[in-house]
Amino acid sequence: MEKLQEIIAQKEVKGISDYFTLYRRLNKMCKEREPSYDKALNVAILSSFTSNGIKESLYVKCCALGIFPKIYVSEYKQYTQEILNPESELYQSSPNLIILFIDAMTLWGDDFFQAYRRSDESRKEWVSENRDEIESLIEKIKTHSSAKILVHNLAVPEYSPLGILENKQGFGFFEATETLNRKLREVYKTDQQVFVFDYDAFCSKIGKQNIVDHKMYYIGDMKLSLNHMPALTDAYLPYIKSMMSMTKKCLVLDLDNTLWGGVIGEDGLEGIQIGPTPAGRPFLEFQHYILSLFDRGVILAINSKNNFEDAIKVIREHPDMILREKHFAAMRINWDDKISNIQSIAEEINIGLGSLVFLDDDKLNQEMVRTACPDVLVPVLPEDPSLYLKTLMDIDDFNSLHLTDEDKNKGQMYAAQKRRKEIKKTTTDLSGYLKQLKTKVTIEEANPFTMPRISQLTQKTNQFNMTTKRYLEEDIKALAIRKDIMVLSLKAEDKFGDNGITGVAIVKKGSERWEIDSFLLSCRVLGRKIEETFLAYIIEKAKNEKAKILIGSFIPTQKNVPARGFFERLGFCALEENREGCEISEYDLNKDCPYPDFIQLIRKD
Amino acid sequence: MKRLKEILADVLEIDEASITDETAPDNVDTWDSMNGLVLVTELETKFNIKFKMEEVTSVKCVGDIKAALRNHGVVFNE
Repeated sequence: MEKLQEIIAQKEVKGISDYFTLYRRLNKMCKEREPSYDKALNVAILSSFTSNGIKESLYVKCCALGIFPKIYVSEYKQYTQEILNPESELYQSSPNLIILFIDAMTLWGDDFFQAYRRSDESRKEWVSENRDEIESLIEKIKTHSSAKILVHNLAVPEYSPLGILENKQGFGFFEATETLNRKLREVYKTDQQVFVFDYDAFCSKIGKQNIVDHKMYYIGDMKLSLNHMPALTDAYLPYIKSMMSMTKKCLVLDLDNTLWGGVIGEDGLEGIQIGPTPAGRPFLEFQHYILSLFDRGVILAINSKNNFEDAIKVIREHPDMILREKHFAAMRINWDDKISNIQSIAEEINIGLGSLVFLDDDKLNQEMVRTACPDVLVPVLPEDPSLYLKTLMDIDDFNSLHLTDEDKNKGQMYAAQKRRKEIKKTTTDLSGYLKQLKTKVTIEEANPFTMPRISQLTQKTNQFNMTTKRYLEEDIKALAIRKDIMVLSLKAEDKFGDNGITGVAIVKKGSERWEIDSFLLSCRVLGRKIEETFLAYIIEKAKNEKAKILIGSFIPTQKNVPARGFFERLGFCALEENREGCEISEYDLNKDCPYPDFIQLIRKD
Repeated sequence: MKRLKEILADVLEIDEASITDETAPDNVDTWDSMNGLVLVTELETKFNIKFKMEEVTSVKCVGDIKAALRNHGVVFNE
């Protein structure tokens, strides 16, 4: 895989032909010898016209990200047949992502040019017919494939035979196209498998006048000019990055000339630029947008070369600052180098360097961090602060396919974590610390509201995870309805805030013998006796239902060392180690298992 | 001509020195109909011109491309 990335790095990619050239080179290499990779993605592209160029640019962009792609493109205009036939090459390519690119001209046919030979009624029929058609195609795909489906909406036309009277019609040409888009959005709003790609917004961004190269359209039925294919695939990437868990979680910010204009050490509190003036507004609005990222769950941190007292005074006291101390999960305001600061921020928050984005106006700092920590995303911040906001808005790495309540609160949770650590520093003994935290734990069986988060935790928790079994939302749903299986979620709160659902246990209930299939806890609540409380609850449940023995197993992985020996510490007796290295232990349910002190347990049975 | 040859060599992945006026889809494997359109896009971008549809459809060899470029005011120092 590194080899492929090297090839891309060597070539300066300027125009569409570079993507074609690189694609041929990479593809040839991969055919000779399949590269070693840990991220692979099968994509199928179904389109209603000649979409050459998508495959080539998507291939190159995936390789550049370290993803090994296999891309299948349906035969010209054959997408319906491919979708309907369960034996088709589409399904045989076992796609993880299916892109369905149907365009307005195809759906309108000749009526695209003569939309008003249809009546209002007939245009309404056009909407419902096409909606049904697209919906039934997607339903068909769903029965044969569990791939994520990305369906394009339609570019709303920019000309009408009626000109300025277009929006005076009962049910006009534009309105019909917009209505179909709206219906698609409504149908798939809560769908976890289908995502509507806003192609209309994409075209507006490029400029609808520039979308088509008319001679290419007549020569090759190309309804999107070749030049725009790389931009289109860029717009697909947030979906792909989210699917591959390659998204960023934390935004690390410089202060002087990044969050405000000027240098606090020289200009002083009154001299820096932030607030409702022409020079201050770019920073003001930049901060507003950063706060909205915080509200969708992005963790914030500071990495600034400054006297701590000078800088913190701005954050605490400047009347126009939007971002305050409570928004930052980690602050490095010192004279250390930016690289060790960024490494210690990652350590403090307990996330990988690959989850960080670093924004700093200083080109030298950018380059230093980029070179020393290649996993950190370091965007080029333009010299002109009026372009900061746009630069940040263009970063598409904070996306996710689902946004659970826990995700939305993540920024706050991490900032609260910082305050927790502060009292831990001042309190020397653990029980004194726990007493101060006033932890409240809520345990309940899985329900439709908690299932997405339960599945997400089984997918993402690596460290304190006894068996590291991964479950999709569908799997959790299927387990939860079974009488002989108990799926539990654990929610933790303390005086600093709500951590949300951070623990999951799945227990198989036999008549006398219960078995823990999964037991995990997010590492940010670990070490506060919450895990002990959770296990004590399961033991109590098993005793109440007259079970005699509780079995726990530990399957070692590269990452779950923190979980090793947990069951034994709580009084389980080690039994055996089977061939796969799985360590089994059992708990004699005649023994009592006391709940830890200072934790309030709320049972929602 | 230097720039044209560079572009041709780049898009078609052939040796610059091998390119003559007679170079054509018939004697270059990589010059298929799709790559022909890529070539058009590339030439238009690099020379900052727009071909007419008829110019694109009537091109049979490199000599024809040169003629079309000349029509758009591109000067070759041969």
